[in-house]
Amino acid sequence: MALHFSPAVPELGEGPRAAQRTRSARLSGGLTAALGAVGLALGLSVIFGAPRHLQIAWLLPLVGTRFELDPVSGVFIAVTGAVSISVGIYSVGYAQRERWARVPMAVLPLFVAAMLLVPAAGSVTTFLLVWELMAAASLILVLSEHRREAVRSAGIFYAIMTQLGFAMILLALVVLSAASNSDAFTAIAAHAGNLSPGTRATVFLLTVLGFGSKAGLLPLHAWLPRAHPEAPSPVSSLMSAAMVNMGIYGIIRIDLQILGPGPRWWGLALMILGGVSAVFGVLQASVATDLKRLLAYSTTENMGLITLALGAAALLSSSGAPKVAAIALTAALLHVLAHAAFKTLAFLAAGSVLTATGLRDLDKLGGLARRMPVTTVMFGIGALGASGLPLGAGFVSEWLLLQSLIHSPHDGNTLLALAMPLSVGAVALTTGLGIAAMVKAFGVGFLARPRSGAAENAREAPLSMRAGMVVAATACAVFAIWPALLGPALRHVLAALSTVGGHAAGPQLGTYLRLPGVAGSLAPALLAASLLASVLVALGLSRWGARHRPAPVLAPLWASGSDALSPRMQYTATSFAEPLQRVFDNVLRPDTDVEVTHFAESQYLVEKVTYRTRQADPVEQRLYPPVVRAVTAMAQAVRRAHNGSIHLYLTYGAIGLLIVLLVAQ
Amino acid sequence: MSWIGRIRRTGRIVEPANDAPEACVTPPTGVTGSLQLRHVDAGSCNGCEVEISGAFSAVYDAERFGVRLVASPRHADGILATGVVTHNMRQPLLNTLGAIPEPRVVIAVGDCACNGGLFANGHGVAGSVADVVAVDVEVLGCPPTPAQIVAALRAVTGR
Repeated sequence: MALHFSPAVPELGEGPRAAQRTRSARLSGGLTAALGAVGLALGLSVIFGAPRHLQIAWLLPLVGTRFELDPVSGVFIAVTGAVSISVGIYSVGYAQRERWARVPMAVLPLFVAAMLLVPAAGSVTTFLLVWELMAAASLILVLSEHRREAVRSAGIFYAIMTQLGFAMILLALVVLSAASNSDAFTAIAAHAGNLSPGTRATVFLLTVLGFGSKAGLLPLHAWLPRAHPEAPSPVSSLMSAAMVNMGIYGIIRIDLQILGPGPRWWGLALMILGGVSAVFGVLQASVATDLKRLLAYSTTENMGLITLALGAAALLSSSGAPKVAAIALTAALLHVLAHAAFKTLAFLAAGSVLTATGLRDLDKLGGLARRMPVTTVMFGIGALGASGLPLGAGFVSEWLLLQSLIHSPHDGNTLLALAMPLSVGAVALTTGLGIAAMVKAFGVGFLARPRSGAAENAREAPLSMRAGMVVAATACAVFAIWPALLGPALRHVLAALSTVGGHAAGPQLGTYLRLPGVAGSLAPALLAASLLASVLVALGLSRWGARHRPAPVLAPLWASGSDALSPRMQYTATSFAEPLQRVFDNVLRPDTDVEVTHFAESQYLVEKVTYRTRQADPVEQRLYPPVVRAVTAMAQAVRRAHNGSIHLYLTYGAIGLLIVLLVAQ
Repeated sequence: MSWIGRIRRTGRIVEPANDAPEACVTPPTGVTGSLQLRHVDAGSCNGCEVEISGAFSAVYDAERFGVRLVASPRHADGILATGVVTHNMRQPLLNTLGAIPEPRVVIAVGDCACNGGLFANGHGVAGSVADVVAVDVEVLGCPPTPAQIVAALRAVTGR
């Protein structure tokens, strides 16, 4: 007789453990949201109030820690805080549903605290300390589901790339600090004018690469599409909406504020970096079939747009057009805020899809609009924001960016005359492809019929997750409809950024958005109101007209003559993106193979066709292997010195000490 | 610029439009001069298809008289059916007809569609089109010439 023993789940033991998990989740999420609220309040008080600073001498030996708050740090602290409120509320439900262990629950608030401290740092050592704390905390969170192989691989990738970026920032800041003989940012800024052009250029290039890797800009973006999909969704949300902003903050603080105003090629370099990242990111997003990978590439795209706007502001400011530079700068700041709002929302909605179905693959989703209506509406609001269409959160900032690029004066200036129209093209292409990517994500993922059993059995997310999403959706609605609310805060921040045209009169964010010296205005609130009114009128008219119309006849759906529609007849994410993939074949270089099997009896009859396509990252495939090979070769060489003999190590120590004593003599 | 000369030398090749034939049915949409048709091959040998494509070619140009072949039955006023109805095509024919909004017209083209023709009572044959759905207009011939098809279509459009 065969007996089948199933591993018995002790029903009694599950109860207390679940209750404990609920308590821990509430504590962790509540703490995260509370930290976020504190950050938001602090950020707003700094934007509108006087700059503050705080020195804690005992926290670090020799140098101490130094925190300084001005409107620029205030805006980034406020954004991080706002994102954390939404994510904190959401993670209460998410941690319970996904059965989070204690480590991620404990590290989540720590990560938020570290991110809140980064913009507050007022000296090089403090900045590097909190930067590294942020990187380490995010790495632990990425590895929360470390039992899966894909997560471990993504974690290693992320760890190496974030440390690579950190090494560049470290080198740059140490050079800067040594050259100006000071640790505090204010003192460095005062000495920055005396630095040699070579030092300034070195620091600029290193910091742009280092901060660019955090922001997900090319060529150090490769961690982003790996780590974001594999991290738990609240963490992806925090990383994609708040942490990448720290890269932008670094570029603004170090390169534009402390070192700036720089030579004109700085602005141009930022514009090229931003433009290439934006177009590349959106192309990859439009052919991605993994929902979270798509959103991660969309982050690269949006960070590219922000960098392009910053570069345009720097270039215009150094070309004697401060008014237009102020518009570009406003666009950059507004897009940081808007991106944080819609990307939080999109990742949180993707997370509730993931908890409900266990799927990220768009080709297997579908039909969620009926099953998860709240999540669908939330993702729709986020996707509308990401596509940069009117009444979406990203529209106003992208409109401002385009206005600043189009209206840049270039009387006899060849550089501006070439750079600006090309950027307009890049931004237009980015926006257009961005719409395609978001239509794909929303249409294929949420509408029509479910393509798999998991999608068919999806259930709506619990209350706390929905509440977290509603918070982010409210922010999206504010950016889309009433950006005037942000006007006073942005004015204060712009005034603090005088090196890139912030001193000039910026755009007036009122009911009408008016641009100084430019014939262009926009009224998002009136746009929304007129749209609402026209929808109501159309509904009323159709109701009124329906009285005289015959009763509607129900007819079966047209399935090209066959009897029933099946989910396999629908568009998939792959087929939707296929034309784009074909057009951009040279850039994307997809790995496609088609296998046709014939019947043994006749080679004219096809038994089956197998189509397989894999979209790898071409930049990563081309650029990284040589670097990895070189680093491995160097490591092999260094290993000869590390042979495990303790005598040898003692000798190294003695020689090192001798050298130090000789040099320090 | 030789193509302009060629056009001039060739002149009109389209068949002359004679007087409109007498209407055989009331136009399905109540509008004369417009008929949108969905073509269904219910099991044809493709002889009638060749003649239909001839009827819509530049020479016979059935579109002059307001007839168009459309891709979706949702856009159509009727069906242009060819061939005997095979068992496999019986239900798709009914589905296509069901997808066309009423009032609609069914035009059977060719002997097979009208009475089974050469393939009547054959293996796998469900019958003629008239055995499956109600037919309004029949165009006889194996295959009918494009001129016959155009004449039949004009009798429906009334032009």
